[in-house]
Amino acid sequence: MDSELLLLGGSLVAVLLLVGMTWLLGFRQQARLDSPAEAAELVRLAPGGFEPVEVAMDLEGKAAIARDRDGRLLVLVPHGNRFVARPLPADCSPAYKDGKLQVSCEGHPVTLDLGAAAGDWTAADSAVN
Amino acid sequence: MPFDPVAYAIPVFVALIVGELLWVRASGQRQRYEWRDTGISLAFGLGSTVIGAITGGLTAGMLVWIHQQSPLSIGWAWWAWPLCFVLDDLAYYWFHRTAHRVRWFWASHVNHHSSQHYNLSTALRQSWTGFIALGFVFRWPLAAVGFEPGMILVCAGFNLIYQFWIHTEVVDRMPRWFEAVMNTPSHHRVHHAVNARYLDRNYAGTFIVWDKLFGTFTPEDNEDRIHYGIVRQLGSFNLLHAVFHEWIGIARDVWQAPWRHKFSYMWREPGWSHDGSRETSDMIRERWSRRENPEG
Repeated sequence: MDSELLLLGGSLVAVLLLVGMTWLLGFRQQARLDSPAEAAELVRLAPGGFEPVEVAMDLEGKAAIARDRDGRLLVLVPHGNRFVARPLPADCSPAYKDGKLQVSCEGHPVTLDLGAAAGDWTAADSAVN
Repeated sequence: MPFDPVAYAIPVFVALIVGELLWVRASGQRQRYEWRDTGISLAFGLGSTVIGAITGGLTAGMLVWIHQQSPLSIGWAWWAWPLCFVLDDLAYYWFHRTAHRVRWFWASHVNHHSSQHYNLSTALRQSWTGFIALGFVFRWPLAAVGFEPGMILVCAGFNLIYQFWIHTEVVDRMPRWFEAVMNTPSHHRVHHAVNARYLDRNYAGTFIVWDKLFGTFTPEDNEDRIHYGIVRQLGSFNLLHAVFHEWIGIARDVWQAPWRHKFSYMWREPGWSHDGSRETSDMIRERWSRRENPEG
């Protein structure tokens, strides 16, 4: 029993040291997309399949939004230094605010700075397309 | 449990993770680790050793009971060790294949795949719910044919230790003869990938020959950048969510499904649904294949 407790205590210390070391060595960068092509590649991995006809990347590569030919939308949301793809429900429309696109549904709120293109991704535009 | 090789390997695991951290930091590949992801992986590992200590006695007890009922007894002959190791690895292959193809087992095994990173800390992302998933039954045949329970457990421990080092992107390819016979970082990267062509491939523990024998082997293609994790990425660093999300998903599906489909949500493959609203790995691969080869 004593040896098991020693093993547990030692393992706990090792875990804390390793996590601290990972943080200190700088493995805490934000996810960053390099190109729309990379965004499209990640979009295609979405559950259920998603073939983008249009992809817009945040100007700093912090997120992306995509549309398929049926008008469905999907966002790439940063998670640590990776991205997760989240298809948006049909009743979820991005909002245009202060020159940026805000997606607040689906549990992963994200703001995209798309520059002048932000207005192209609001509900009215989706409906037209 | 007379001897647990995994306990002795833990300091080596820690040293190798430190080495990999320093290596990838020095080579400027800062995307290969993420401190919270590493924390989750290591918490999984620590928790699994605690749960293993609690359930290990029961698991060993069942092996002993089965061994006692068996008319066969191989004993501790030297030649039994390598034979036991190879057969235990075969048992592992079938356990692992089942863990990906039956949702009940997947609910536990998904823990190991839920990181979007692939590094040595990912190797320690071991399930907390393996006992509930009943994965231990795959080793019962070894006890039934006469192998000593202690020998089976020691071989299983060495199998787990072997699998540690293959969870890395630092090693590209091993020598050809080694890649042909053994499970390697390259083969196992394929296994952890969510790229459609790689889903549910390379189930091997130590020897890749099982995948080649049973038709589940796919080599790594350097032209196809690997993305790691699970089809629907967790998107959360909540440890409890990471541990239990698939079990909660099963409970929700069983609750909501029509009576005649309830059991299917436990024993069918992950992604199966009675109304076809979701995708299994086979469906994803088929969709990908149609996209790659539209001519057919």
